[in-house]
Amino acid sequence: MTSPVRRSAAPVLLVLLLVFSSSVSAWKKEEFRSCKQTPFCKRARTRAPHSLPPFSVSDVSLSDGSVSGRLVPSPSIRQVTDEDPSADAAVDDTAQRPLLFRLSVYHGGILRLEIDEDPSSAPTPKRRFRLPDVLLPDLEDRRLWLPRLSSPSGVAATSFYLADGFEGILRHDPFEIVVRRTGSEGEPVLSFNSHGLFDYEQLRAKKEGEDWEENFRSHTDSRPHGPQSISFDVSFHGANFVYGIPEHASPSLSLRPTRGSGVDESEPYRLFNLDVFEYLHDSPFGIYGSIPFMLSHGTRSTSGFFWLNAAEMQIDVLAPGWDDSAAPNAGRVDTFWMSEAGVVDAFFFVGPGPKDVLKQYASVTGTPAMPQEFAVAYHQCRWNYRDEEDVAAVDAAFDEHDIPYDVLWLDIEHTDGKRYFTWDRTLFPHPEEMQKKLAAKGRHMVTIVDPHIKRDDSFHVHKEATEKGYYVKDASGKDFDGWCWPGSSSYSDMLNPEIREWWADKFSYKNYVGSTASLYIWNDMNEPSVFNGPEVTMPRDAIHHGEVEHRELHNAYGYYFHMATANGLVKRGNGKDRPFVLSRAFFAGSQRYGAIWTGDNSADWDHLRVSVPMILNLGLTGMSFSGADVGGFFGNPEVDLLVRWYQLGAYYPFFRAHAHHDTKRREPWLFGEENTALMREAIHIRYSLLPYYYTLFREAATSGIPIMRPLWLEFPADKETYDNSEAFMVGSSLLVQGVYEKNQKSVSVYLPSGASWFNLRNGVKYDGGVLLKLDASEDSIPSFQRAGTIIPRKDRFRRSSTQMVNDPYTLVIALNGSLAAEGELYIDDGKSYDFEKGAYIHRRFIFANNKLTSIDIRPSTAGEKKFSSDCTIERIILLGLPSGAKKAVVAPGNHEMNIELGPLTLRKGSKPIALTIRKPNIRVADDWSVRIF
Amino acid sequence: MGALRIKFSVTITCLFALWIAGFASLPAREFLGIAPQDEGYYKSDVIKCKDGAKKFTKQQLNDEFCDCLDGTDEPGTSACPEGKFYCRNSGHIPQIIFSSRVNDGLCDCCDGSDEYNGNVNCSNTCWEAGKAARERLKKKIEKHQDGLVIRKQEVEKAKQEFVKEEVELSKLKNEEKILKGLVEKLREHKERIKKAEEEERLKKEKEEAQRVAETKSNEQKQLLDEYPEDLPERPHDKLEKTSQYVKDDHGDSIAYDHGSDHKSHEVPSDHSTNQHVLEDKDITTVKAGANEETGTKEVHPDDAADQVQSPETTEGLSREKLGRLVASRWTGELSDKQTKEHNDKNEEEKENHDFAESGEEENYDSYYHSDTDDDRHQYDDEDDDNDFQDDADEPYGKDEVEYDDSSYTDKDFTSESPDTTTGSLSWLDKIQHTVQNVIQAFNFFRTPIDISESSRVNKEYDDASLKLSKLQSRISSLSEKLKHDFGKEKEFYSFYDQCFEYKQNKYVYKVCPFRKASQVEGHSTTQLGRWANFEESYSVMQFSNGEKCWNGPDRSLKVRLRCGLKYELADVDEPSRCEYVAILSTPISCREEKLKELQQKLEDLNKSQPLAHDEL
Repeated sequence: MTSPVRRSAAPVLLVLLLVFSSSVSAWKKEEFRSCKQTPFCKRARTRAPHSLPPFSVSDVSLSDGSVSGRLVPSPSIRQVTDEDPSADAAVDDTAQRPLLFRLSVYHGGILRLEIDEDPSSAPTPKRRFRLPDVLLPDLEDRRLWLPRLSSPSGVAATSFYLADGFEGILRHDPFEIVVRRTGSEGEPVLSFNSHGLFDYEQLRAKKEGEDWEENFRSHTDSRPHGPQSISFDVSFHGANFVYGIPEHASPSLSLRPTRGSGVDESEPYRLFNLDVFEYLHDSPFGIYGSIPFMLSHGTRSTSGFFWLNAAEMQIDVLAPGWDDSAAPNAGRVDTFWMSEAGVVDAFFFVGPGPKDVLKQYASVTGTPAMPQEFAVAYHQCRWNYRDEEDVAAVDAAFDEHDIPYDVLWLDIEHTDGKRYFTWDRTLFPHPEEMQKKLAAKGRHMVTIVDPHIKRDDSFHVHKEATEKGYYVKDASGKDFDGWCWPGSSSYSDMLNPEIREWWADKFSYKNYVGSTASLYIWNDMNEPSVFNGPEVTMPRDAIHHGEVEHRELHNAYGYYFHMATANGLVKRGNGKDRPFVLSRAFFAGSQRYGAIWTGDNSADWDHLRVSVPMILNLGLTGMSFSGADVGGFFGNPEVDLLVRWYQLGAYYPFFRAHAHHDTKRREPWLFGEENTALMREAIHIRYSLLPYYYTLFREAATSGIPIMRPLWLEFPADKETYDNSEAFMVGSSLLVQGVYEKNQKSVSVYLPSGASWFNLRNGVKYDGGVLLKLDASEDSIPSFQRAGTIIPRKDRFRRSSTQMVNDPYTLVIALNGSLAAEGELYIDDGKSYDFEKGAYIHRRFIFANNKLTSIDIRPSTAGEKKFSSDCTIERIILLGLPSGAKKAVVAPGNHEMNIELGPLTLRKGSKPIALTIRKPNIRVADDWSVRIF
Repeated sequence: MGALRIKFSVTITCLFALWIAGFASLPAREFLGIAPQDEGYYKSDVIKCKDGAKKFTKQQLNDEFCDCLDGTDEPGTSACPEGKFYCRNSGHIPQIIFSSRVNDGLCDCCDGSDEYNGNVNCSNTCWEAGKAARERLKKKIEKHQDGLVIRKQEVEKAKQEFVKEEVELSKLKNEEKILKGLVEKLREHKERIKKAEEEERLKKEKEEAQRVAETKSNEQKQLLDEYPEDLPERPHDKLEKTSQYVKDDHGDSIAYDHGSDHKSHEVPSDHSTNQHVLEDKDITTVKAGANEETGTKEVHPDDAADQVQSPETTEGLSREKLGRLVASRWTGELSDKQTKEHNDKNEEEKENHDFAESGEEENYDSYYHSDTDDDRHQYDDEDDDNDFQDDADEPYGKDEVEYDDSSYTDKDFTSESPDTTTGSLSWLDKIQHTVQNVIQAFNFFRTPIDISESSRVNKEYDDASLKLSKLQSRISSLSEKLKHDFGKEKEFYSFYDQCFEYKQNKYVYKVCPFRKASQVEGHSTTQLGRWANFEESYSVMQFSNGEKCWNGPDRSLKVRLRCGLKYELADVDEPSRCEYVAILSTPISCREEKLKELQQKLEDLNKSQPLAHDEL
């Protein structure tokens, strides 16, 4: 075919126009694989329930306190081909080998199921990949030694103890696992393979003429080991909704059904870490991170299921009646899980309460790391703060406008040609000095370090990595060469612990020239993003340490990178300084290494809205330290959107403003004094709540309960809360409702039942269980304190959190119907690991019988180190106390002080509406009580 | 009772006086953070919050508890977020800082009075700082004084020039009227001659015909006759062209420049278009080669062109090209070139429109400073002004100035009328006179028509028309110029035909007030914007609607004017993508008010000097 020579300029112009318009349009759907384009997904998804020959259980025994045995495929013909799932061409011996399984029980209501091939009958030397380093190292210590197995009468099955009130049932033929409540009812909670969809493509030798290659667009995946996917169904009984399996952008908190009656042609939820340009705000496609952990909640039960597997995963949430059964699965949610490779290593969490499920998951993958206090404050970022003058000017402008901030961020342009650990010396000739200037005001800096390493022989990191053979290899065994910011790049193989150590050493002050102790790190592009790779990532047949294929590891690559970087900062500080590393990619367990954010969102109202369900689902799956770019990364937010975003973002666990380099500057003071004041106020709210947030971070670090919580986590019995995607709890005391529309005149807020609520704007008390319609005020978004709680605040504002250390506290007490309330305050040095040795203050404030008491809840076993603070309480605000109280007396000492009417906040124009105890000046570190008369 | 209170307060005051004497450097707790002129406000026992919301007692003043939300009761502590703290800063000038700075561990006031809780020791640096500030201020005052002298001269000159040009314009308009009349007369006359000639010719033809067309030599004669008939057409052609040219020039000066820009962009664009077919073939070879190498590959300069061929699909691209394409979604770097070309074409259409001034971007005018008062507590914020004084010795002179548009100095025209204000009569008179003569001299009744006479009329007509068109072009350029806003005193009049240049790294920035601003890199020029207007009471020159940025705004430039003795462009910056700012120092921006302000500042500074230091 010959292409005509273009004579006129018009077609060129047209093409140029297309380039232009397409480059600013959104998501390129065709560049990402749909389920239909993904053979394992297409194959598995078209299967009907019970259409496969079933597996049966044999050789059940107790070994080492766990239940083990074999899964034997039924002797009928099982054949798998990529092209046609229904073609039963020839008998395939390899597919009929029995699989090995093991069921283990862990302390606290956790059942683990492992299914792998039998290595003794393996036809190929390749072993299936079991992802190391994610489960907590001490998990095995918490395994229960099962003393015996029993057989329920009537059916061929094995039952065993799981937790008090729960038991595991292993049905033998066909193979099925049911977790259920003990007792005569035997109400099921979770079940595995109840629909006979369990399938396990075993590794086998390639047959003559067989072609295992897969092509997608211009990319070829050599797939040397052939099909090896796994799929199965999991049912959540007693559930109304399922949640979790981030990361997806959706305005819905619960996971919407992807298949079954009433569902249009839809994709399954995909878990495949990808750098998606301008991702859609409502799509089941995978974005930057993956946590294969799903929770269910309903009026009768809360449970969870976690599949430890880092290969591409696709998950269907099945609509009631999907299986055409006569009895639709009322009160049950069925799900279908598919993965390209790996093994079955799955955990069932029995609850029974929502927080129990979260704790159970945290006991397997870990709780979030305790961050430094500055990291909980406000972060200012932009691609890019151009040079040292720019940095100094932005810093100065914050002071000039009396807006606090703690961290200034530098994006990729600060480097010398995108060689991380280096500085563009024209723009940043004095990086140490620059950081010291910020540090002098108690502020910190974050620089970006991405995983792609510029292939430049003069770049020491590249040189070392090449010489030591530290790069991921391509299918042919050469160092993988992909394209990213610096151009031609390679990627260090973070699966290898030796390489992680090497990487960690790069963060020493000596190696990272120009870094100082106030510098922390941002890991971007660690999905990994490879601009010229299939789906903008690394080819699946790339090879990692131990001959592991990238396909087996993909979703955990960013996790390992994050881990290595965080460990680098720990090493840098001789194990004394808590690291701060923000990562874009993540996997189960990433919470142990730092924060994540929701990536490159857009400056529109939809993205503002979806940030809440996204962050809530991240919190439910362990990643409680997360946030969305305030203002939206792509595009220019109109000023009311920006203001609303600050007002909402101030409650995100991770609170950072960020912007693309094509956007207009949008620092909070650039939109007129009125808007500056609104944004300042939003940031001030966050700073005043820092003591509360820090206490919540401590709670998360010890229990796994997130900072930002869906309403149902606190009100599990209130059905109205189950799918509320607009409001959320901060801790257990604060309810926040976003404003998600332009020119919104009124806001509807659902206040959960079982509690009363105090509007923090005007102190008005509302009963729970009602949908409240409020006027949308410009100066704040609705927030309510739950009756029966005490929130510690610091109402003095400083340049950064660092200067707030010695400032006095305000306690806001919201009394419930019995005039009682409780709250906690956790304080430590905000940066070191001394808290692990007991150096912290942990108080519980209890108000009852007209007396507020502060008691020490730091256990005596906490450790020898102590932490002290001279901070006092300057103000106690009492909401819900019948008027009449005039005086307060502090013990010890019997100081008497007046109770007067005061404002709820020190914001200009606040009305004196709440009883306020003026200057009790009691030390937070001490035991004391305040009696009201 | 009343007497008692007075007595009591007198005692207190006395005690206070003693107390103050004891701690000379620091005011009493009650007066911490209060400006001296405000102390009276706090004298009574019950004090009102300034916002009128409530009252507080003297005991509540600076007691570390916020009673007034406006901060009235806590001027000396950090208890009220809205509070302000006053530092005396003896030796320097007093300063008002946010309450958030009080006892935060950082020394903000040069006298250290904001840090009094003992957590940090702030040394008193007011004397040194004050001295330095005074020195700077003195220099600045000098600069403003000197600048004002120059400014005065310039303004005087500008005023004269302006008046002169206004006079010239009205004169020219008169002349135009007269000249138009003459031209009209000549044209009529010419028409009549032509008609007469035609009649004569027809008559002759008739006669010829009557002679029954015997001899062929008549043809020769006829040709000769036709020549003069042709004559009037030719100069007319020429005239049209000239006026076309002039018109273009006046329509918008950029039109001229655009022509060259257009050309320079057009060339590579054509180039890449032509190369497409070739490129397609090349890809396969490049790809094969690229797959084998693992080392760093040099970027092929024409890579960008490949994109054009398949904007939507990324299939079939080489690995490197795919990488670049995907990267460009975030950075826009690859597509920039293409969109630039594309925009140039748009630009062409845009040229024809008159651009409304866009005030939309004013909100974002400053990236670090809002519209609110910058000077809140800074006294030497404009020290950078000094820089302009010192460096760069290049003399400012008109000879440096570039004239982009030759129409402003129409040599022909001006040489012919060297001084329109005085000598104009003579040339116009001359023409009038000549025309009169010519017209009168022509005898219509003489047959055959005198050819030399007739051609004289034609020549006079041509000359006069040409003059008229030149005159009109001058009028239009002048009135175009005089339409502009040159400031209250026409002080920016001389900026009209000046351009200022500044070289920064590989770029040369060129700012031509009232016209345009551009960034030149080698042979390629990027329009940063066209003249929009003055902003912020003539302290900013705004250029907007420059070339569009990929995925970004149209380029724009804000030139901040600063007082300086020389005309100097400096510090071009791009704080937000494609939004440029620059600083131009000029004596025109040295203002009397500012000088007075500075002098007042200096006076205040001197006042606050403790006597002890004066003796030093």
